[in-house]
Amino acid sequence: MIGIAVVLAVAIGAVAVSRVPRSGDAGSGLPQRFDYDLKTHKTIDPALILYRQAGELPLDLSASRAVAVGPEDRIYVAGDQKILVFDREGTRRSEIALESEPRCLAVGGAGNKEPGRIYVGMRDHVEVYGPDGTRQAVWERLGEKAVLTSIAVADSADEHDIFAADAGHRVVHRYDPSGKRLAEIGRRNREQKIRGFIIPSPYFDLAVTADGLLRVVNPGMHRIEAYTFDGHFEEPLVWGKASLEIEGFCGCCNPANMAAMPGGGYVTAEKGIPRVKIYGADGNFVGVVAGPDVLAPTATITEETREDHKLEVVDVAADSRGRILVLDPAARKVRIFVARNPQMETKS
Amino acid sequence: MASSSDKLDRRQFVGNGVRIAGAIGLGGFVGFLAGRRGSADDTVWQIDPNKCIACGNCATYCVLDESAAKCVHSYPMCGYCELCTGYFEPDPNDLNSGAENQLCPTGAIVRKFVEEPYHEYSIDEALCIGCAKCVKGCNAFGNGSLYMQVRHDRCLNCNECAIAVACPSQAFVRVPASNPYLLKHKGTGA
Repeated sequence: MIGIAVVLAVAIGAVAVSRVPRSGDAGSGLPQRFDYDLKTHKTIDPALILYRQAGELPLDLSASRAVAVGPEDRIYVAGDQKILVFDREGTRRSEIALESEPRCLAVGGAGNKEPGRIYVGMRDHVEVYGPDGTRQAVWERLGEKAVLTSIAVADSADEHDIFAADAGHRVVHRYDPSGKRLAEIGRRNREQKIRGFIIPSPYFDLAVTADGLLRVVNPGMHRIEAYTFDGHFEEPLVWGKASLEIEGFCGCCNPANMAAMPGGGYVTAEKGIPRVKIYGADGNFVGVVAGPDVLAPTATITEETREDHKLEVVDVAADSRGRILVLDPAARKVRIFVARNPQMETKS
Repeated sequence: MASSSDKLDRRQFVGNGVRIAGAIGLGGFVGFLAGRRGSADDTVWQIDPNKCIACGNCATYCVLDESAAKCVHSYPMCGYCELCTGYFEPDPNDLNSGAENQLCPTGAIVRKFVEEPYHEYSIDEALCIGCAKCVKGCNAFGNGSLYMQVRHDRCLNCNECAIAVACPSQAFVRVPASNPYLLKHKGTGA
């Protein structure tokens, strides 16, 4: 009798345990139309993809932050506490050790008074290195609140100033080559119709374009703004719109990164849905360099909520030949893209 | 002067020693067990936001009709975006509070204008069902300031939490009742 009771109790227990949901796949219980699904927006029409990957540079960096192009199309990558320098063919030429973690960098171009001079943005200040990697200067610290996210160098015959985007203070700092801070650009000013930079997350990029203007991403406004070096806002030249459609910039705040193309035009990189795209000099959408199928290692990573599992944001640069360099921190490599149609490289 | 009969022989001495040591050991063991039980009672369930994958199970597995797990908001982390991807559908018709534009199935997020172009977002917990849809939206593009927490004014602190059993990422953990929330802070990534 006792034996039967024990067997019965064990059987009931086993059934009870087996009925406890352990897979946890019920979800919210809401109808499917309430699912948060970006699948349709992650699919890109193949006809719009105008570039193909032609090569890649593997990086021994655990946290790569920025990519830039210098004279003779040398490729500079900042990450960990160093800068890696590659020649245009992708052969690693040198490594520059830094004392702290870099966040952004720019290199004086061939037209610069000091070609090959490297400007490295740390969290709150700029450090300057010579082409041989020796540190030449450490510029003034910008305070606790400063978060430098991008640097650009003017390379025209008579302008060699340096511009640093500060996401913490939501302004662009203008420096002369000696490191003297000359001005702030982009602070909210109703009279000049400057709405100020809206920077919800620390992605705030800028570039000096061939027309001699400073182009600054206003990520919260989903647009690229134009300023003279003196800080005058060029309102008619503003472009960009918020949209999940391929022509627009997705999410709360994009593009995360941007670079100027050699013949005019822009290459942009978005976070959230990783998309690298080309726009013409007037801001018209031209095409796609790479989308989530290349830049997202898994289909669901774009919906990831865990900080240490999230997809890192890519940085972009373009060389004089129109090749697009995409720094892919997740894959620990720089992907090199070339136009499928060679005429594209000089047209955009 | 003690007589020879009062003296303990070796056998008695060892026996008494063993008995005293046993009593002390037993007392210590009972005390240890009592202490362990006390600390177990002083912990509560909580969601580790660094492990939560916003699967939505919190809405359906809680033994309460209305889940004790709710979305909460870290204001220091929030970008106060005009286009909040935790509030709006991925591709909204317009940036207003029209139901067709809202991501939340129950309209539990309140959008309040602060100054051009900033907006503040707060959770109406009475409406929140814990589906975590907004958490996904906020994390996909934004700073991840919306996240899930067990609200202890509702939680029954079940011995075996049904959500914890169903949680696919083991995000449900026991935390001290004296510090019952795992809050996200700006810059920590947590």
